[in-house]
Amino acid sequence: MTEAAAPAPESRPPLRIRWALAFVVFAVFFAVNAWLQPSLLTARVLTSNLTSFLPLVLVAIGQTYVVLAGDIDLSAGAIIALVNVSVVTLIEQAGGSGGAIALGLAAGIALGILCGLLNGLLVAVLRLQAIVTTFATSIVFGGIALWILPQAGGSVPQAYWRGYAGGLGPVKLTVILFLVALGTAILFSRMRWYRHLLAIGGNRLGAFQSGLAVTRQRVISYVLCGLFAALAALCLVGETASADPLLGPSFTLTSISAVVLGGTALAGGRGGVIGSILGALTLGLINNIVFFAKLPYVTQDLVKGLIILAALAGGILGARR
Amino acid sequence: MSLLVAENIRKAFGSTLALDGASLTVEPGEVHGLIGSNGCGKSTLCKIAAGSVGADEGHLRFDGREGFFGTPAAAAAAGIAVFYQELSLIPDLDVAENIALGHEPGRRGMVDGGAIHREGARLLARFGSSGGKGLTPGALVRDLSADQRQIAEICKILARAPKLVIFDEATSSLDGDQVQIFFEIVRELREAGTGIIFISHRMDELFAICDRITVMRDGRTEATLPVATTDREAVLTLMVGSALATRHRDEAPPRPGAPVLEVAGLSNAVLRDVSFTLHEGEILGLGGLHGQGQSAVLRAIFGADPSSGSVRLGGMPHARRSPAAAIRAGLGYVSGDRGINGVFLDRPILENMAIAHLSKSRAAVFRPRAFVERVAGIVARLNLRFAGYDFPLRTLSGGNQQKVVIARWLATGPRVLLLDDPTKGIDVEAKADLYAIIDELAAEGVAILLHSSEDEELLSTAHRVLVFGSGRIRADLAGEALTPTALYRAAYEVSAA
Amino acid sequence: MRLLRHPLVLAGLAILALLAIGEAVAPGFAGAGQLRSQFVIAAMLGVIAAGQNLVILAGREGIDLSVGAMLGLGALVAGNVMDGDNAMILAGLGAAVAVTGAFGLLNGLGITILRIPPLVMTLGMAGVIQGLLIILTSGRPSGRAAPALTRFIIDPLVAGIPGLVFVWAGLAVLLIWFLRRSRAGLNIYAIGTNQEAARLSGVPVTATRVLVFALSGAFSGITGFLILGYTQSVFIGVGNAYVLPSIIAVVIGGTPLSGGTGGYTGTIAGAILLTLLQSLLNAMAIEPFGRQIIFGLVLIGLMLIYGRQDRLRV
Repeated sequence: MTEAAAPAPESRPPLRIRWALAFVVFAVFFAVNAWLQPSLLTARVLTSNLTSFLPLVLVAIGQTYVVLAGDIDLSAGAIIALVNVSVVTLIEQAGGSGGAIALGLAAGIALGILCGLLNGLLVAVLRLQAIVTTFATSIVFGGIALWILPQAGGSVPQAYWRGYAGGLGPVKLTVILFLVALGTAILFSRMRWYRHLLAIGGNRLGAFQSGLAVTRQRVISYVLCGLFAALAALCLVGETASADPLLGPSFTLTSISAVVLGGTALAGGRGGVIGSILGALTLGLINNIVFFAKLPYVTQDLVKGLIILAALAGGILGARR
Repeated sequence: MSLLVAENIRKAFGSTLALDGASLTVEPGEVHGLIGSNGCGKSTLCKIAAGSVGADEGHLRFDGREGFFGTPAAAAAAGIAVFYQELSLIPDLDVAENIALGHEPGRRGMVDGGAIHREGARLLARFGSSGGKGLTPGALVRDLSADQRQIAEICKILARAPKLVIFDEATSSLDGDQVQIFFEIVRELREAGTGIIFISHRMDELFAICDRITVMRDGRTEATLPVATTDREAVLTLMVGSALATRHRDEAPPRPGAPVLEVAGLSNAVLRDVSFTLHEGEILGLGGLHGQGQSAVLRAIFGADPSSGSVRLGGMPHARRSPAAAIRAGLGYVSGDRGINGVFLDRPILENMAIAHLSKSRAAVFRPRAFVERVAGIVARLNLRFAGYDFPLRTLSGGNQQKVVIARWLATGPRVLLLDDPTKGIDVEAKADLYAIIDELAAEGVAILLHSSEDEELLSTAHRVLVFGSGRIRADLAGEALTPTALYRAAYEVSAA
Repeated sequence: MRLLRHPLVLAGLAILALLAIGEAVAPGFAGAGQLRSQFVIAAMLGVIAAGQNLVILAGREGIDLSVGAMLGLGALVAGNVMDGDNAMILAGLGAAVAVTGAFGLLNGLGITILRIPPLVMTLGMAGVIQGLLIILTSGRPSGRAAPALTRFIIDPLVAGIPGLVFVWAGLAVLLIWFLRRSRAGLNIYAIGTNQEAARLSGVPVTATRVLVFALSGAFSGITGFLILGYTQSVFIGVGNAYVLPSIIAVVIGGTPLSGGTGGYTGTIAGAILLTLLQSLLNAMAIEPFGRQIIFGLVLIGLMLIYGRQDRLRV
């Protein structure tokens, strides 16, 4: 096979934008939001929006890796709760110094990774059903969070939340974090293991027969989900300057909504992280829109619920082509 | 030294023995053909060599290394690449990404998209324009046609530069030009010292490309013959075994019945203009190589898959809207793929028998006692024994499970029975019982359409046989013309590229 | 030994063990008075788990996360129809069942016709119903149970046993009969075990799947009606605490999340087991977090016993 034909002129990887539909949906909601709230287009409002969307964006990124591999993580929110209270409590008990903050951040990330690892071992190595198993671990993680801190409270040193609210010159730290997360997600999507993740989600047996380390990749996806949930928890601490064991759980289902909205199939193998980021931002915009549409307060939840349901249904139908 | 030596391999899936006494030796730079009837264990033997299926007993040596491979990854690392009959492609990756899967070029864990694409383009270029429109490195596999997918799977193997390649039915969807290019590639691999196992049902292809041919039958290796000193008849004889000489049924049905099922111009994704008539009391066999449209005909008539064309049942148009409608019109369907299409393993035997009768009668309430009375005679007739009607079906052997499925349909009192390879994977005794009941039913006037992957069964049971190839009826054999050799010839030689 | 692995036997043994431990830790735990109130609580869970049970039995990742919101909706509708009037009890029940059944039907249509995964569909539906409840009530408790209903549910009816327990027993008998003796019941098992084989046997797959979601809505509505009767007036978030326990009761009772096997007898045991476990943890003065952790661990343990999936290499 030495006389291989010269590569044809058009032989470059095709540009396949898997998040085009998610982007259109995002753009529509962004336009509606800007129409209802003209100040949206100012740097200040954009930044503050990004800040409040950031935790969901991070969990959604983590959840995407698990869903792409054909699994699901119903414990992501509980991991957020656990890391959230652990970090605040640890920093308080360690004296609140700069060293204590560093210790808290490191411990929080390690804890998230550990939780993800536990999920991965149960689901991929022991072959338990992902839905019930991560649901069960979420109960355990949530219980431990309540054990550490039974109700909202505690506080972190000024340095933590001041630092989180600060930035490099005019650019806020949260914007930088968002860009770093986005960059990391793009970088990851060019890596070998990510390709393998898509393969495993798309055809688990075929991936196995092609010699891929199926079990290991599935564990890694759970670890990543735990890691990103922990990062989201650290952001929440920076935003609220305190801990709340009940803040996390709602993120589980919202992160799955963001992933589905972003065009990733729950069956796995299809979609991508950028779509999920757009999905998370869209969910945030829906909140804004419902608020700024000056709807009677009592109707806001219904309208929000209907928009999300319609967007999910539309996303699923659109992704199916 | 031989590249691959597999000796006395034994493998059982549950109670079904897939391999027992299977052996295979492949030299470097040899194209080694592997042939045998459907279900003789060729694919399982290859999967064991490639580490994707475990063996129960036996011995394996590859390239000087002793022992079975624990994972496909280990076998791939040692230099074995497999063309999987069911393909190992990922639908949502593109062709180039699939070709590179598992050994993507790039540094520090990053993937070099350009290099993957160029390598994909280079390998696809071997097939030139014969791959047809849409076969580009960037095309998603889910958008490809069957032949294009096979070409992608072939390229996936070439990209790995293996020491041993197993091509399991690699040409089944390829056209003549594509097969010629494939042969060129195989010859180049041979020159380069690669060992090649080539599984095909097309006798012409085996004789065109192979150095030696191993014939398997019933999970056992029958013989290995050098192509230079053998001929097709010899291979056929080994494949068919001692049953070749016997043909139990040599007459038409005792009395020619009225037409029951008239099929005209039936077409769909698999079928091309299929027409025939089935009479009362007739057993019409559907034969040919695996997957040439036999199942598709039965499923289309039953309303399980969409189709165009006309089907008349007892002179009335039969709309084929759904299986439920077909059941009410008097049809019954038994599939050999019990696990997928037939059984409810965790449900009681009684429910497994009652489900179709309930659908047909549309009764809102299930009366177990009345139903037991209804099926008691059928159960006795099928020679079906079990501990109790409320035991889960799982507790029965494969043969008895299939008898339960037959009982399900007999309980509906069908006019036409569609039997889709009903004896697949069941023991000899149960097979005999099933064929006895098929004969009896026909004698009572039930019209039977029987697809069997075992020619012996068709020969001993059917009054007439339609041989299928590529979705069409290739031959209609009856009376004097229905001989074992005619059947094999129609199936194996007519369909060659 | 084989018998010991039967989920129903396991659950039964666990119930006895819980009673014994409870009696040792807090004398009177297994007494008649205590048991009576345990059964009343278990009955609520048992009824809502009945709907969840049907959905899970029908397979294909069937799960209903909207049962909590449906419960709230049922209670609201029933409370407003009754509004403290004894004559309107049946009308209240009927209205609650009709409304929640209709929403359940929508779940089923979204899942079958639009092919939205059950998890996503019922989750989205829960959000919609929750929003609807806020509109209807402005977040305040609304509607009142009829006094006769409350008396029937709480006060001893026969042999010291409250009426609610009889209602549960009656529903249980009906449901068990339905699953074993009706064509629709057998069809639910059939599509849960092997959907393709069911279709080829003439089972109306789509209609059956829609039916289980509609029934799940209806059972949630009945539960809302009963809880309203028990507490006389309810707040709209009352159902949230029932979503996860309804699933756990089904799984503990031996119906795997993959569906197709199991049944309501086990779920009854599961509901009782869960209620006893909860009250034992209460009696042992274990903090809420401790209960939660033990709950989660019990569930993981049960998954290990019967939740393993197939290997890729055979």
